[in-house]
Amino acid sequence: MNDLIEILRQSGTTIQALGVTAGGLIGVFVTLGAFFLIIWLADRFGTRRGAD
Amino acid sequence: MQDVFIGFTSVTWQNAVMYLVGFVLIGLAIKKEYEPMLLLPIGFGAILVNLPLAVVWEHAGAAGFLKVFYEAGIANEVFPLLIFVAVGAMIDFGPLFKNPLMIFFGAAAQLGIFATMVIATLLGFSLKEAASIGIIGAADGPTSIFVANIFAPQLLGPISVAAYSYMSLVPLIQPPVIRLLTTKNERRIHMEYHESSVPKWLKIVFPIAVTMIAGFVAPISVPLIGSLMFGNLIRESGVLERLSKAAQNELANLVTLLLGITIGSSMKAEAFLTLETLKIMGMGLLAFVFDTAGGVLFAKLVNLFLPKGKKVNPMIGACGISAFPMSGRIVQKMANDEERGNIILMPAIGANVSGQLGSVIAGGMVLALVPLLVK
Repeated sequence: MNDLIEILRQSGTTIQALGVTAGGLIGVFVTLGAFFLIIWLADRFGTRRGAD
Repeated sequence: MQDVFIGFTSVTWQNAVMYLVGFVLIGLAIKKEYEPMLLLPIGFGAILVNLPLAVVWEHAGAAGFLKVFYEAGIANEVFPLLIFVAVGAMIDFGPLFKNPLMIFFGAAAQLGIFATMVIATLLGFSLKEAASIGIIGAADGPTSIFVANIFAPQLLGPISVAAYSYMSLVPLIQPPVIRLLTTKNERRIHMEYHESSVPKWLKIVFPIAVTMIAGFVAPISVPLIGSLMFGNLIRESGVLERLSKAAQNELANLVTLLLGITIGSSMKAEAFLTLETLKIMGMGLLAFVFDTAGGVLFAKLVNLFLPKGKKVNPMIGACGISAFPMSGRIVQKMANDEERGNIILMPAIGANVSGQLGSVIAGGMVLALVPLLVK
């Protein structure tokens, strides 16, 4: 990861922006994915508890 | 004698243009009702700061009242964060809990931020400036102000004006983009909605968990997401009704009032009347178009993997932008126009509140990643 950051540091501004784009979009999807997981688990847990 | 008329003799044509900009913003707020709570104070602030000698900013070595507000609320980012506490207290995540898949549209519709950032670098802006311009695509005023103030405070005026102007123009920007990217049949897709109760503990745990996860993934996003979720926790706790109401009303109104006029005071003629401002206004519009396209195209992609009868109406994807609840209402109206009685409001609002989360997280990602590449 450090190598990639170092390569991007030496690159032009647009390439750096593309790097931020890739990292940013992955980060947003992963973070919101974690929020999804919380809701999904809560729903399953709640349903099971209701069924018991 | 000249000193007596200094008010007249020191006006420049640039000041006159800024009065015109101020009048236009006030006119849009009053006549068209475009984000009046912000565009009116911004317009008046722009006039104030461009009056001769700009005494509202600084006079005889002492700070004027708008500079005091600026340093107390914008320079240290307190005003946008207080707005977030108020917004958090207004948000009901219920529609999202009932249809959690909608959360991913809140991620996809942040495409505009990043696409615009890349375009801004092609137009010659530095990475930090480009990131600040791109964040107009968050469709979220406080996030735009927060990021611009850290990365490019010199662009705060045009970025704020672009962000709030285009947020108010969402009803005009989104429908043509949605129509361009969807077929009539796609716009007629019905979505099932099952009314179910959301457990109270989930409503309380959610803001705390979201803050902690965001804090681990992108610690720099904590002021943004933390203030938003603090407001939401006050709302959902059920024991702080007075504080929740105060955040939704008194706090929101007071800070909005100060925020607008203070942002206006950053629009000094010499800083605002530049080619950069025109470019920023153009790119702001592009950011909203890309946001809408990103959400709709992602919904179409998701539909490729969903069985018949479970497909989502791709217009829902456009609601992933943070313009809440305007975007959800527009999409519902479009669905109804296509086929009378097609109700997709609840999933649309679910995607819309996800957009609020997505824009804040995207802002945090930008704040975390850009400093890794440029000092």
